[in-house]
Amino acid sequence: MSAFSEIIRTFRSVGSETFRVANAEAQPFVSVDPRKLRVEVAAGASLRLLVVHEKPVASALSFLLERGARLEFTQIFLSEAFSEVRMAQAAESSCCSTVVQLASANASYRIDLDGAYAGSSLGGLFLAAEEEHCVMELRTGHNVPDCTSDSLVKGIAGGRAVGEFRGLVYVAPDAQRTDARQQSRNILLSETARIVTKPQLEIYADDVKCSHGATVGQMDAEAVLYMRQRGLSLAQARRLQIEGFAGDVVRRCGIEELGEALMTAVARKMENM
Amino acid sequence: MLSVKNLHASVDGKEILRGIDLEVKAGEVHAIMGPNGSGKSTLASVLAGNEKFTVTEGSATFEGHDLLSMPIEDRARSGLFLGFQYPVEIPGVTMANFMKLAVNEQRKFRGEEPLSAAEFLKLMREKSAVVELDPKLTSRAVNEGFSGGEKKKNEIFQMAMLDPKLAILDETDSGLDIDALRIVATGVTKLHTPQNATVVITHYQRLLDYIVPDVVHVLYKGRIIHTGDKTLALKLEKEGYDWLINDYKE
Repeated sequence: MSAFSEIIRTFRSVGSETFRVANAEAQPFVSVDPRKLRVEVAAGASLRLLVVHEKPVASALSFLLERGARLEFTQIFLSEAFSEVRMAQAAESSCCSTVVQLASANASYRIDLDGAYAGSSLGGLFLAAEEEHCVMELRTGHNVPDCTSDSLVKGIAGGRAVGEFRGLVYVAPDAQRTDARQQSRNILLSETARIVTKPQLEIYADDVKCSHGATVGQMDAEAVLYMRQRGLSLAQARRLQIEGFAGDVVRRCGIEELGEALMTAVARKMENM
Repeated sequence: MLSVKNLHASVDGKEILRGIDLEVKAGEVHAIMGPNGSGKSTLASVLAGNEKFTVTEGSATFEGHDLLSMPIEDRARSGLFLGFQYPVEIPGVTMANFMKLAVNEQRKFRGEEPLSAAEFLKLMREKSAVVELDPKLTSRAVNEGFSGGEKKKNEIFQMAMLDPKLAILDETDSGLDIDALRIVATGVTKLHTPQNATVVITHYQRLLDYIVPDVVHVLYKGRIIHTGDKTLALKLEKEGYDWLINDYKE
């Protein structure tokens, strides 16, 4: 994963267990293999943070976004890992998360929108090959009125791999004018791969806009044929198709330097699926 | 250019093509007509290399090479283009990206240098004008959300970009309104040169008002049962196929 190492070298690293950001930080920070990390983004401050899991260890991350704080959070799993993320968001704060699992990972996200006009956007992608088992669990809590959330989680499973997505959108009583969207899109590459997707809504308010959906499909053989008829090789056609599928999640990542490296890593993993 | 001899092909054990003979020379336009289910689209698919079909007998050579032994992408790179009856949508893949890869793969096959970004953009602008394709469509995902007419124009746009020796257009006229038909057909005519050849598969004489064929074939039950000049298409339009196929009904 040399492309990542190159990029990461240019970022400042987070050294301590507690990390407080008081101002707008233009340069992204990186945290490599965090066992335990608490991040606080002060009112009006902004932070871009990348967490890379390179070793198979358990980690616990917790974030506090104060009023009007902004966070762009990217988490990449290059090795097996167990991760728990908790995100508490005060009024008018916004968080854009991108999660990419390139190995058997078990990642859970608990997002609490605790102040009015807080917003969360999450893009997730997992690639499960051979005997791998990827799990992504998401709970988005709309605890007060006037918050928005939008999550899109895409999964690809090949070989005898298993991919799981469990997503719950919780809307508290009186959390009126909630706007919540949750989508799960998946592709199976083999007869023996499995995808389990479970999008759920739990709504206790009556003036809300909530949508959710889940699909599991296969690679479109017609599209591959079409691209080959124009002169692309089978491998190129498949890569283009996967890029098309994964691209919108990867493009959500707010750390521009990472986009290309992520796409390359995704394509490289796909070659062996 | 294309020489097909006694071609038999089947799908799932069912024989669709039962001995096709077809000779197409550079500079010619051939039209293949025939009732539904006669095997027209199958012929196009088999020549393009769709692996769904099994060739059980016969041969096909293209520019002196054994077409049937080539994988689908090598047939394309050698200059065979198939305009799809139902162009496929490819979500998330932009037309520009797709065409850039396709054009450069084909150039690589011919031992040419890849086009620079500027050259490629210039080519795209030029060729989108051939079929009056909105240049904005090239930044959109391939065929996604395109109207029926845009999809067919997009096929001819790709043909213009790739400049094939032989283009097989499978019912490119189906689902087009009169204006789109004129634009698509005029585009095909503009692209025709003495060095290339076109095979149009169609149900209707209407398309042939624009694309005037040198030879018209009638395909029925997997065989070419009749071949004539452009007047054959007019006669078919007026009289239908009955006078031809009565002898072949089982």
